[in-house]
Amino acid sequence: MSRYTPPEQSKAGQVFDIAVVVVAIFVALWLPLKLGLAGAAKSIDALDAKTWEALGQNPTMASIWEKLGYTPETAHDIIQNRFHYIIDWPTLIIMAAVLIGYFVFLFRASDREYRDVINEKFDDK
Amino acid sequence: MWVALSYACWGISIVLALWMLYDWFKIDTNYSEDVLTSSREGELEAASEKHRI
Amino acid sequence: MTVALENNITTTIHGDRVSLLRVLGPAHVWALGVGIVLVGEFTGWNFSADKGGALAALIVCWVVGLLYTSVAMIDSEVTSTVAAAGGQYAQAKHIVGPLMAFNVALFLVFAYTMLEVSDAILLGDTIVAKAGVEGLTHNSFIAATIVVLAWLNYRGVLMTLNVNFVITAIAYVSIVVLFFSVSPWTQGAVLKLNELVTPGNALPYGWIGVIAAFQFGIWYYLGIEGTTQAAEEVRSPARSLPYGTMAGMITLLIAAAMTWYVCASLMPWEYLGITYYPLWDAGKLTGSPLLENLLFIATLLAALASANGCINDAARAWFSLGRDRYLPSWFSAVHPKYRTPYRSILFLLPIALAFAFIADLNQAITFSILSGVLQYTFMSINIMMFRKKWPLGSIRRGYTHPFHPLPAIVLFCLCVVTFFAIFLGFGSQLIAMVAFYFLISLWFHFYRYKFVRRGDQFTMPWPKPQGY
Repeated sequence: MSRYTPPEQSKAGQVFDIAVVVVAIFVALWLPLKLGLAGAAKSIDALDAKTWEALGQNPTMASIWEKLGYTPETAHDIIQNRFHYIIDWPTLIIMAAVLIGYFVFLFRASDREYRDVINEKFDDK
Repeated sequence: MWVALSYACWGISIVLALWMLYDWFKIDTNYSEDVLTSSREGELEAASEKHRI
Repeated sequence: MTVALENNITTTIHGDRVSLLRVLGPAHVWALGVGIVLVGEFTGWNFSADKGGALAALIVCWVVGLLYTSVAMIDSEVTSTVAAAGGQYAQAKHIVGPLMAFNVALFLVFAYTMLEVSDAILLGDTIVAKAGVEGLTHNSFIAATIVVLAWLNYRGVLMTLNVNFVITAIAYVSIVVLFFSVSPWTQGAVLKLNELVTPGNALPYGWIGVIAAFQFGIWYYLGIEGTTQAAEEVRSPARSLPYGTMAGMITLLIAAAMTWYVCASLMPWEYLGITYYPLWDAGKLTGSPLLENLLFIATLLAALASANGCINDAARAWFSLGRDRYLPSWFSAVHPKYRTPYRSILFLLPIALAFAFIADLNQAITFSILSGVLQYTFMSINIMMFRKKWPLGSIRRGYTHPFHPLPAIVLFCLCVVTFFAIFLGFGSQLIAMVAFYFLISLWFHFYRYKFVRRGDQFTMPWPKPQGY
């Protein structure tokens, strides 16, 4: 099998590729932050009665909250800020499909490239 | 005290960053690109394997 | 350590070639692994209490501990055989193929860079919280952390990891000191576990909360697999890497158990789940100023050690990408005097700084966890392929892990559970991240790969894999 000789990349091409990668990294990490996709999906279940008992805290817990500088009013938004685990099937299916599709593509494309590598490496000798 | 520490942190960051830039420039101009990028993966492995046989 | 240094001075420039220096021993491997991870006990693991309650945090501490024990075992076998900088990247390249390797290197760079960002934010926020000065922001402390550690990394790996060993050890000892000073054997005096974790609030969300908590349970141990990045700088990788990684894992399991016990016995879960400094808070709640200050300093040191190790690991992964021309070969330069991948270190510095200034702790941690879990999924499949392509006996392995394929199956199942856990509460972020990896993979496969030499990528002195 003939050896594959890659083209030499020009300086400008190298700089351009670095720029592509940097932009991709920023888009991937920064865009979800901006679009509000990042972070936890939590919401506050407001309570009318703001006492330690209503917040489900026993005297030991209440004493610790107070030691940490909280009152039932200030602790309310922390204690009642909760996750609501509802399994949203369409999103779950999309997520599973995206993940599986990604891994399948990864392994198949890698295997194609890998065969070239092995052929060239072991047939030369 | 904390505010002074904060300014000191900025100072140290700038000095070290400039030093790294200076050193980077110095190395890149004093050595050829071929020498700098001459590291190859697995070279030592191949050598030690042969040595053992 | 000095003896080691003198011995390896001989490994200098061969003719006109420069390579990384082989100067590290098992203690450095331990320092690199545990150093990166230990910060997880000081912040991050406790968010699992937020997702599932205090008991869920304990359950995931053990179950995820099992996941990581599998990771450590699998990693030790593969890496003691494929000992090259880039760690899992070089493994993927030899076992699965180039595109996988490219992705794995990106997982590594993202996981570590975002972890470094989290560490810097944690350090800055901790100092600001301690100072309590109006108008003081964390930016200067973040900048100093990232720049000083990059400088340390730039100047040489031996010093970097010696420093890491010392600060990691101090941070670890502080957890042990805290544990023994609250008289852990008698409940009721300082610790009030039975009053804080009651049957009514132990699992506030039920079992689904336990599953959801897996996400941050990862944070107890994330990064232990980074030990493999040092493969090209360790004196005897086949021995030191498995030894250092396993010792690190045992250390972390003990630290995680102690941390949970003390924190859950001192704070209500609702608070534990949202605080950024669970151990420092635990120190405060004991009422001893000595413990409070000790844990404050330990939090800073743990964050420093972690960021330090992350810069080391991310730079090595990036460097390896350049060396194989997966990225411009410009990145594969080694500093002729300090023998470090200096351009990679410098390139990643402003990226880390930028994210440390714009992201918040929770988000940075989630980015890091996501990349980590993608990587563990790869590892479970990778070991299966490794054993199939090169069965036992066909090549010399530094370490062979027992019970194959059980650890791989366990690891794979736990990864699936963790993906589901991330879906619970952080689903859209997961989809966005995977979409990014997918697009950049297309870019690599159809464009960038044409600059890569084919056969040269396979550098191990192995026979042809079976089935090819």
